[in-house]
Amino acid sequence: MDNKDKAKQKKNAKIEESEYIIQLKGLTKQYGNKCVVNDINLNIKKGEFVTFLGPSGCGKTTTLRMIAGFEIPTQGKVLFGGEDIAKLPPHKRPVNTVFQKYALFPHLNVFNNIAFGLKLKRIEVNYQKANGEAGVKQVKLKDFLVDPNTGKPDFSIAAKDYYSYVEKGYVKLKKIKKYVNKMTKKGRVQKEVNGYKYYIDEKVRRALKIVGLSDYETRDVNSLSGGQQQRVAIARAIVNEPKVLLLDEPLGALDLKMRQEMQIELKEMHKTLGITFIYVTHDQEEALTMSDTVVVMKDGVICQEGTPIDIYNEPLTAYVADFIGESNILDGIMIDDYKVNIVGTEFACVDAGFGQNKPVDIVIRPEDIEVKSKEKGIITGVIKSSMFRGVHYEMMCECNGFEFIIHSTIEAPIGKEVGLYVAPENIQIMHKEHVDNTVEVTFTSNTTFDMYGGTYDFTPTALWKDCSYDADQDILTIDGVETALKGSSAKIRFGFADVDMTDDEYAAPLAGNVDSMIYKGKNYIVDIKTDDNHHIYADTEYLWDKGDRVGIKIDPDKFEIVKEEAADIKTDGDGISAKNEDVKGDENV
Amino acid sequence: MFKKCMAIPYALFMALFVLLPLALVLVFAFIDASDGSFDMIANFKELAKEQALGKVISNSLIAGLSTSALCLLIGYPIAYFLTKPEFNRKGVMIGLFLAPMWVNFLLRMMATKAVFNVLGFKMGMGAVIFGLTYEYLPFMIMPLYNTILKIDKSYIEGASDLGATPTRAFWKITLPLSMPGIISGLTMVLIPSITTFAVTEIMSNGKMMLLGDFIYSLKADSLNMAAAISFVLLIFMGISMFISNKYADGGSKGGGIC
Repeated sequence: MDNKDKAKQKKNAKIEESEYIIQLKGLTKQYGNKCVVNDINLNIKKGEFVTFLGPSGCGKTTTLRMIAGFEIPTQGKVLFGGEDIAKLPPHKRPVNTVFQKYALFPHLNVFNNIAFGLKLKRIEVNYQKANGEAGVKQVKLKDFLVDPNTGKPDFSIAAKDYYSYVEKGYVKLKKIKKYVNKMTKKGRVQKEVNGYKYYIDEKVRRALKIVGLSDYETRDVNSLSGGQQQRVAIARAIVNEPKVLLLDEPLGALDLKMRQEMQIELKEMHKTLGITFIYVTHDQEEALTMSDTVVVMKDGVICQEGTPIDIYNEPLTAYVADFIGESNILDGIMIDDYKVNIVGTEFACVDAGFGQNKPVDIVIRPEDIEVKSKEKGIITGVIKSSMFRGVHYEMMCECNGFEFIIHSTIEAPIGKEVGLYVAPENIQIMHKEHVDNTVEVTFTSNTTFDMYGGTYDFTPTALWKDCSYDADQDILTIDGVETALKGSSAKIRFGFADVDMTDDEYAAPLAGNVDSMIYKGKNYIVDIKTDDNHHIYADTEYLWDKGDRVGIKIDPDKFEIVKEEAADIKTDGDGISAKNEDVKGDENV
Repeated sequence: MFKKCMAIPYALFMALFVLLPLALVLVFAFIDASDGSFDMIANFKELAKEQALGKVISNSLIAGLSTSALCLLIGYPIAYFLTKPEFNRKGVMIGLFLAPMWVNFLLRMMATKAVFNVLGFKMGMGAVIFGLTYEYLPFMIMPLYNTILKIDKSYIEGASDLGATPTRAFWKITLPLSMPGIISGLTMVLIPSITTFAVTEIMSNGKMMLLGDFIYSLKADSLNMAAAISFVLLIFMGISMFISNKYADGGSKGGGIC
């Protein structure tokens, strides 16, 4: 490649980069051994409204704090306009934050809270020392240069030109009023010009007007209501005219009505100000209402990013579907292209390319199910309950033992047998994240192995077909070879339904906490997180609560060995790359 | 009714050990010792005549104010760094700094005096101020530590987010917000150090007197005079409390032992 090409490529790269104001590259944050944010890559466009959405502890706030500069990433880059700012302290970053609990300074009134940033504003100026050396010094806002003809501070004056502009007759902000008075007397300048104090005054007043709190300047911040404090916090951030505004669950402490009002106002502000908003929330409705782009996070990883419409209509995983809005999440089997079996009935769908007889996750939004007469539906069921919810009725219909939630403006009477119809395009089909638990275990004897620190019994005859052992269980014969298993390891597999959850953690070899649950119409798929942060999935008909401490029991007969030819696939129960699931799915069928 | 009965011991305690002594001080201050009659100004006139008193008051003010200032200057940085977890793992350091309070102060003063003598330092005002600072430093650190500890970290983050360097954030946020602690620390050092006795006696070889020593030196029969001086001190105390309350209300609440 010759140099010309290289230069061209470089130029292209630059153009591409300049489109994005913030880029996160391989951003990782660890506290001790715990990975809170794991290798996040994200590009944020200028003027975009981006929302990080996820449950508490998913790493969304940590990500925001790394952009703001309160946390230094363990690895990765935070590019601001192409420049890495990951290690820059917060006061040097061109971003401002609206904090969750506002963090208004209690000893300052509204005006001084808002003016705080303005008064600190500094630019670096190159100048020549007396001995001819070049030096850099910090210039305060009051020393900013003002064009005496317009009366406005000229921030565009480059640092190196500062002194040449002074020679040109530009005046420092603090002196401008005096200067103008003098000039006006001489009849030279007739324009209205503001001095330093007036300049700040005007900015603060404008910010207060934007947030709808005019005439609140002298109020004590402690005397304001939650909503008003929130507005002051926003004013305090936007008055500095940041390129990017970071908002950390800013509406979390407000009541519903206030929150909805502020959502609309924030969206308006975003339009008027035209700056980039990065917003963090756990409220999916808030995220869908306000954002241009929603980034759904879980366990420090981005699950999906896209427009609110994409995220809602085409969730990539059951987790995203469950988190965003109400939905019916069900197990399905992709019979063939455009054909899917859900709860024992074949539905037409618009998806293809999954292969034949592949287990998949199905999402159907409650409002996409049409209640028809018994004959006209694809599947028949009985209405079990109905609740008036204002705009619609929320009905529960049982079909083949599975529950469907339906939102409809027309009520069907309880007990009535109805037909349900779902248009093919409204069936969202997703790869399964996991189809079974696959774990690398170490044998501790011929009948026990160690899995994530718990010792489980297993039945060797269930693991190996051609296998026998003597009465004392001392000698194990596999494929005609006497084997001592102790110390060796293997990859084993067990199904979701083989996991037995128990209240008594000491009655089971291994314990963990319930991390999340997804309702599948009849049963729950429970994600149990062990103390070493491994995940084990269980299928249960009982409802557990998030955070419940449970013991994990597994029937010794239920383990299967993962065959050698499949051994090169790296799966350890945590692996979630889509490619692997396909293969795993294969094995399962 | 039962709940009200529970308050009786405290009410009795208050009456016997707080209200009664205060009342006695007031009564004695306004009774003429020579004839036992009620006289508003007799004791104060007598006080004014006392030659040494002017010197005692000026000494007290100098010693008290410089002790307070020194305690604040030394105590603030200590308290500030002790609130940082990296300097004060599990509160061990703060315990160490407060440990001198566990040793009898007379013993400490005498030891200090011995050290001063060995080093050949002159015993006088300087030594007294040193002794007082040594004595009262923990009383300054404690309220400061509590106040600074309670300042929400998000204020500092907010300030740095708005462009403040760490130094600037300290002057603009941390210091103003630790005002209540400063005030209560000063209250706990100023008045006690003015009215202390023994420290002066030991650290100045009995050459110097503060108000406390002066009261101590009065003979048993001049209880009325002592009461009069106490009355003056009470007024001082009242004024300083008034000022401290006024400031403490301004900033965030809490902090301080009192």
